[in-house]
Amino acid sequence: MREGRVVAALGRRALTVQFRRAQLLMPTFVLPLILLAVIASGTSAGQGLRGFPDVGSFLAFVVPGTVVQGTLLAGLTSGTALAGDIEFGFFDRLLTAPVHRTSLVLGRLFGTFVLALLQSTLFLLVALIFGAHYPGGPLAVVATIGLAGINAVGMGGITAAIALRTGSLSLLQSLFPFMFVMLFTAPAFFPQDLLSPVLHDISLYNPLTYVVEGVRALLNDDGSLGNPWEGLAAACGLAVATTAISTLALKERLRRL
Amino acid sequence: MSHAAVEVEALVREFKGGIRAVDGLDLEVRAGEIYGFLGPNGAGKTTVVRILTTLLRPTSGRALVAGHDVVHDGDAVRRAIGVALQEAAIDPLMTGRELLRMQGALHGLRGPEAKERAAALLERVGLTEAGDRRVGGYSGGMRRRLDLALALVHRPHVLFLDEPTTGLDPTSRAALWREVRALHEDGTTVFLTTQYLEEAEQLADRVGIINRGNLVAEGTPASLKERVGEPTVHVELADPGSAAAARAALARLGTVEPANERTPSRVALRTAAGRAAIGPVIRALDDHSVQVEFVEVETPTLDDVFMAVTGSHLEGAERAEEEAEAA
Amino acid sequence: MSVALALWRRSLNEVLRVRGALLPATIAPLIFMFGITGQFGRLTGLEGFPTDSYISWIVPLSCLQGAGFAGAAVGANLARDIELGWFDRLLVAPVPRPLLVVGPILGAVSRSMVPATVVLVAGLLIGADLTGGIYGLLCLYFAAAAFCATAALWGVFMAVTFRTQQAGPLMQQGVFLAVFLSTAYTPQVLLRGWLSHVAHLNPMTHVLELARQATVAGIEPSFAHTWPGVAALAGMATVLGALAVNGLHRMGR
Repeated sequence: MREGRVVAALGRRALTVQFRRAQLLMPTFVLPLILLAVIASGTSAGQGLRGFPDVGSFLAFVVPGTVVQGTLLAGLTSGTALAGDIEFGFFDRLLTAPVHRTSLVLGRLFGTFVLALLQSTLFLLVALIFGAHYPGGPLAVVATIGLAGINAVGMGGITAAIALRTGSLSLLQSLFPFMFVMLFTAPAFFPQDLLSPVLHDISLYNPLTYVVEGVRALLNDDGSLGNPWEGLAAACGLAVATTAISTLALKERLRRL
Repeated sequence: MSHAAVEVEALVREFKGGIRAVDGLDLEVRAGEIYGFLGPNGAGKTTVVRILTTLLRPTSGRALVAGHDVVHDGDAVRRAIGVALQEAAIDPLMTGRELLRMQGALHGLRGPEAKERAAALLERVGLTEAGDRRVGGYSGGMRRRLDLALALVHRPHVLFLDEPTTGLDPTSRAALWREVRALHEDGTTVFLTTQYLEEAEQLADRVGIINRGNLVAEGTPASLKERVGEPTVHVELADPGSAAAARAALARLGTVEPANERTPSRVALRTAAGRAAIGPVIRALDDHSVQVEFVEVETPTLDDVFMAVTGSHLEGAERAEEEAEAA
Repeated sequence: MSVALALWRRSLNEVLRVRGALLPATIAPLIFMFGITGQFGRLTGLEGFPTDSYISWIVPLSCLQGAGFAGAAVGANLARDIELGWFDRLLVAPVPRPLLVVGPILGAVSRSMVPATVVLVAGLLIGADLTGGIYGLLCLYFAAAAFCATAALWGVFMAVTFRTQQAGPLMQQGVFLAVFLSTAYTPQVLLRGWLSHVAHLNPMTHVLELARQATVAGIEPSFAHTWPGVAALAGMATVLGALAVNGLHRMGR
């Protein structure tokens, strides 16, 4: 219970700071929406391509990519904030507190989880306002939001591990384009079969592929677009694995003290 | 269990390149005392503090804080200590109150308890009005006070203050000193690192002087200063010609320094009585009809102590002089 | 002018003396180029697409994107200098204020040629066509350099208005919006809905057309494809330049 309160307190702090820093707010909330608008309008003619699935709403086809993009950025900003804490000494304050070491990582990831819930809710709502249809219904929307939260933990675990290993804020800040590699090597905005051959092959091994397609299937209530259970498994697997990696990174950091 | 608040035995910390920031340090801090840890930049003070607060592991040796080993029983140490580090590591985007409540949660305080404690501490350090403002807008003095409040959330047995008044103006420094004294009266052990001589002399029950990773002197400020010499009473005479008579008059009160050609109208008398000797000195000179311009007493400083054991000055000594002159 | 040159040298030093300083500015457009091509490459199969090589379509976009972010970075650096007080040193120098930013802008333009060239070479290596020859190439580099300067003026305007590093994201988002609310992914004829109208009005659409003379077969090098982009860049630079200079003059009041 006590450690639960610690995790909650650290998560609350992570969220509070996130919303008070424009440099973190813009990429996590504004950028994905801008890209969604541009892609939805700019590439919707692609629906006419042979092999493009028959979906009622192109926006509903694309918005899962935006949701996943949001989780990537939530994870990145989370790791960046952690690197800032380490570099500017605030992390030392946390280390002198009598808390379980893993709580320091879990607290940060809990904040990332909640951030992703808020993000994905916003994205889905905005898309709805601009004409997206979700045949999967409210339950599918709720499931999507939950899946986004879990995926964000997976992304946050990676960046937390890098932050703990390096303690370098500038390194984390420079990771921004690399996070997009993960997004582009998944069928984030276009069907997997219409990706370039290289990306298509890579996407088979990218866990985000299954998350995006799972969300797509959920929202469009169309099992041919993906498998939500595979998406859940991929997101959970990523979250567990990267949380473990970041915990190990913290232990290694403490060992090197 | 030991009654010492801090016990350090043969402590060594080596960094890459073979640099020994701490080189076989032994010290003991008694429960309830203010221990001043004085030394120049790079002497190893912060390294010692980081080891004692479990932020750094020693290369070898042993350190116990509140009876717990810093390496093997870190959690217990962290429950017993409060820490205000050299760089006030506080999040500028949070308010003072938010930080205190978060710190309370980290130390196991439940919501309402943490809220109450935050309010009480804000009042104690004089930040109630600023408590709901973001720390980014605080002055240096306010940040230090908040840092201290954060260290006190859980009523620690041992409080580590790493150069708490560096960079503060005299008013803020005095306010922090008052707070440290109040903690001392409450029975908290305070381990205070500083490079300011006056701070060590004013606050510390005992002072340990560290240089190049080793303790070079330890004791009460008074006993340390006694080691390097007695106070000196300087008498400026109205008539340089009466210097010989003055020396003869003062001979029975202590050790009269030999004449100095550069200051012919000055007579110096070394005496353990210090300021208490002023009256007898003036009476003795008056009895011999020697007229006096003024009398001043010079006491050895901790810098003199440092000089005696290391052959060089403490950097803080120069800064303290400059600040005193500026004031 | 010697002040401007000195500040140009300072801004170049920042990349010449810091190992890997140009990497982030180069890698980001490369990643976007490969990623976008991989995602949307099949769009060239649609009727009306002026090329059958999507990489040829995207290379100029990525060059401009990289140049734009390099320009916006001038604003971010200026905001940092203002916030940390270093810019005050320059403000008290007996130098016309606009010259204080000319140097860093020139530095950004110089630096932007590196990612533009890397992106172009990488694009050519994976199949882009240099359909516009030397003329097209000159147009591409001109567009990149001029857009970099324009983005830098935008960044300067933001920096002197907000005087805080927190305005950094605004600078980048401004460049992002300018570049992507245009014929970034598809030609005008294939745009749908609101973006079609916005792209029609967005001067960057003309700048992209100017740059695309280098690699897009359906946009032949010609005066007709050149002058609108040049005029757009001149117009943006004039407006943003005026705002930036006005902001500089207002500093300290």
